[in-house]
Amino acid sequence: MGRTKLSSGSGGSGSGKSAAGLDTHSPAPTDANTTSSTTAVAEAKIKDLLKELYTLIHQVQDERARGEHNLSNISKTHERMQQEQRITPYYKNKLRGLYNTAMQDAEAEAELLRKALDKITEVKAIRENRRLDSDRPKPIMRRGVLMSMLQQNAVTLPLWVSKPGERPPPLCGAVSADNNYVAKPGDKVAARVQSLDGEENWILAEVVTFNTSTNKYEVDDIDAEEGKERHTLSKRRVVPLPIWKANPETDPEALFSKESLVLALYPQTTCFYRALIHEPPKRPQDDYSVLFEDTSYPSGYSPPLMVAQRYVIMCKEDKKK
Amino acid sequence: MKGKGKAIADKDCPLQFPDLQPVDHIKQSPKYTAILSRSEEDGIGLEELDSVQSDLETLLAAAGKRLKLLENEIQVLVNWQEKKDIKPLETPISGKRGKVAEDKPSKKFKEEKSAGKVSGGTPVGPGRPKSKNTTQFAQVSKVHDYDIVDSPTIDLSKLPKNSAVNRFWVSVEPYCAEISNEDLKLLEDILKSHEDDSDYYKIPPLGQHYAERWAEEDMYEEQKDGAKISDRRRGPNNNNNNNSVLSPAEATTLLRKAEQSNRDESPFGPLTQRLVSALIEENIMTPMDDAMAEITGGKESVEEAPAISPRALAKQLNLGNPSHLEKRIKRELEEQGILDFEDKVEEDPNDEILLELRRKQQDLKAVSQHNISITKRLYKLAKEEMARQEIKKKLQAADAEVMEAYRKIQLAKQKKKTPTKKEREAAQRALREREQIVKALDL
Repeated sequence: MGRTKLSSGSGGSGSGKSAAGLDTHSPAPTDANTTSSTTAVAEAKIKDLLKELYTLIHQVQDERARGEHNLSNISKTHERMQQEQRITPYYKNKLRGLYNTAMQDAEAEAELLRKALDKITEVKAIRENRRLDSDRPKPIMRRGVLMSMLQQNAVTLPLWVSKPGERPPPLCGAVSADNNYVAKPGDKVAARVQSLDGEENWILAEVVTFNTSTNKYEVDDIDAEEGKERHTLSKRRVVPLPIWKANPETDPEALFSKESLVLALYPQTTCFYRALIHEPPKRPQDDYSVLFEDTSYPSGYSPPLMVAQRYVIMCKEDKKK
Repeated sequence: MKGKGKAIADKDCPLQFPDLQPVDHIKQSPKYTAILSRSEEDGIGLEELDSVQSDLETLLAAAGKRLKLLENEIQVLVNWQEKKDIKPLETPISGKRGKVAEDKPSKKFKEEKSAGKVSGGTPVGPGRPKSKNTTQFAQVSKVHDYDIVDSPTIDLSKLPKNSAVNRFWVSVEPYCAEISNEDLKLLEDILKSHEDDSDYYKIPPLGQHYAERWAEEDMYEEQKDGAKISDRRRGPNNNNNNNSVLSPAEATTLLRKAEQSNRDESPFGPLTQRLVSALIEENIMTPMDDAMAEITGGKESVEEAPAISPRALAKQLNLGNPSHLEKRIKRELEEQGILDFEDKVEEDPNDEILLELRRKQQDLKAVSQHNISITKRLYKLAKEEMARQEIKKKLQAADAEVMEAYRKIQLAKQKKKTPTKKEREAAQRALREREQIVKALDL
């Protein structure tokens, strides 16, 4: 199997998730140059949003401080109950009350956190729109920059935390989109394209438009270095990437289970390959550990490699082989 | 509420006592903590967004996890308490305060449910509890909500195993399985079972005609009935009873007597009659011509003979059953060569039952003949198939060998070495062997 898109050099770029996650590689510098009025409006909007975010974060902390008392109360009660070896109805009722209060506190806290995260998403959306609206061609990025940007994208993919009784929505982790779902312009997708030598590959791409009459997408190869290719592909050759990370602690059912067959982005490339899940993530920030199908290894599989939730999708050609 | 349930030792406490301590944000969410200590003017920088997001998500995940744990614990608590509440519900003794308080919610379930729904399942539902009673209500209504929403998530987490596929394969298996010796044995057994078919081709001898048997039975019945009537009539004098009731044996003799008048001609079969008449006539005719007068004394006896009925004669002669005699005579004649064997099968063209029997036997013969031939063919095919299976097994082994050789060469190639001569030879040999087997199989 030829990894046609293996990055040649730029070892420094793959400096790992944590480093990439904290230093920002966002295309911010280009933004500063634009001076149109729309940008000014957007700037103002962003400023407002950031302010709201600030107050929300403080509210979150207030709520947490308020609930903390109750939580420590619970743990004290737990201790006492365990010491006494048996549970009297008095304790049961007390616990019930404490639990209910804690539930309400946690729900309120989660609500505030969601609002705060929504603000962040909004800010990001405004910046993303500006990038799309601008007529200037997209900056050609060096491979290393591109790779760390992809990593960053994966890390900052919003986390979905289900409320009690709620189910993860489509495009959250392993939950695939509805059949009639149409990816929006700018969305990242996996696209099955035919390269010049006739080989079919799943590449990472960005949606340009969707033509409803022909039912076809136009997508851009994310890796501009490959020669700015624009592909027109039918819908079934395009798989939208998840827009939410699934939280393993609350929504384990929205993750691919061990041993399931997936398409995963090979590290330091922009291509998806067939792989088996070796270990699903355990914490929200964790990545999948996957084994890529690779005939160059005696077992037929590569050693475990880490791939972010964002770049692991269901493998469609399950039955063909 | 006290005093109830206290007596029960809570050995098997289902509670998990989960750790619900909040996240230590100073350690786990540094950016978040940093922002908290900032003044409003400092605000948040654009470049900080990503790390803030990550911190907030950590907190949100923790909150989500806490919610799940709490939900579970509450469920456990409620289930536990409800189990104990069942008893008081069955034997309601009014007067104890606790029971009333606990019974009520379950009775008001429906109202509570709707009330809970109105608050929209929104997380911040019925506000902070103030008194015990309201807590309870809130809990019950909540729990009810959870019951509804909880089940699908539980279902999801344990994906139902798709057994349809397996069932399909199991059902198909017998048709594709290899043929074993047991299958051959079964076929042999089927063939053997045809050998004792002869039972079906026997024609049982004709029995007593049903009209005769029925007449006998009717007679007996009537006798019984009559006996009952007469029994009633002369109830007191029992001694006469024995005379009036005839035993079945007596009934048959009575019938015979009645019959005698009908067919007084002869109880003997046609063959016996012919034989006897042939013998007698000779005796009569010859002396008649020569000496009539002399035999007057003997004539009397001859003349007397017809006076006796043939049946009486038979009795006198102590011949037993005339039909047996007929058969014996016939057999004797046949053995002596006087009578031909040919008309041995007594066939009555008017015997419908016999005809039907014959026809059915014919059908059965055709069917079983067919079955035997098919079974034999199957048996032959199975034998051939088993031989092929043998070869196929060899082919599999050969395939494995070829693969093994391939793998070795591939491994060598990976290590950028040319495969050794030994390996190449092994590969060649494996290929040749396989070729031969394929030829033998004639695939």
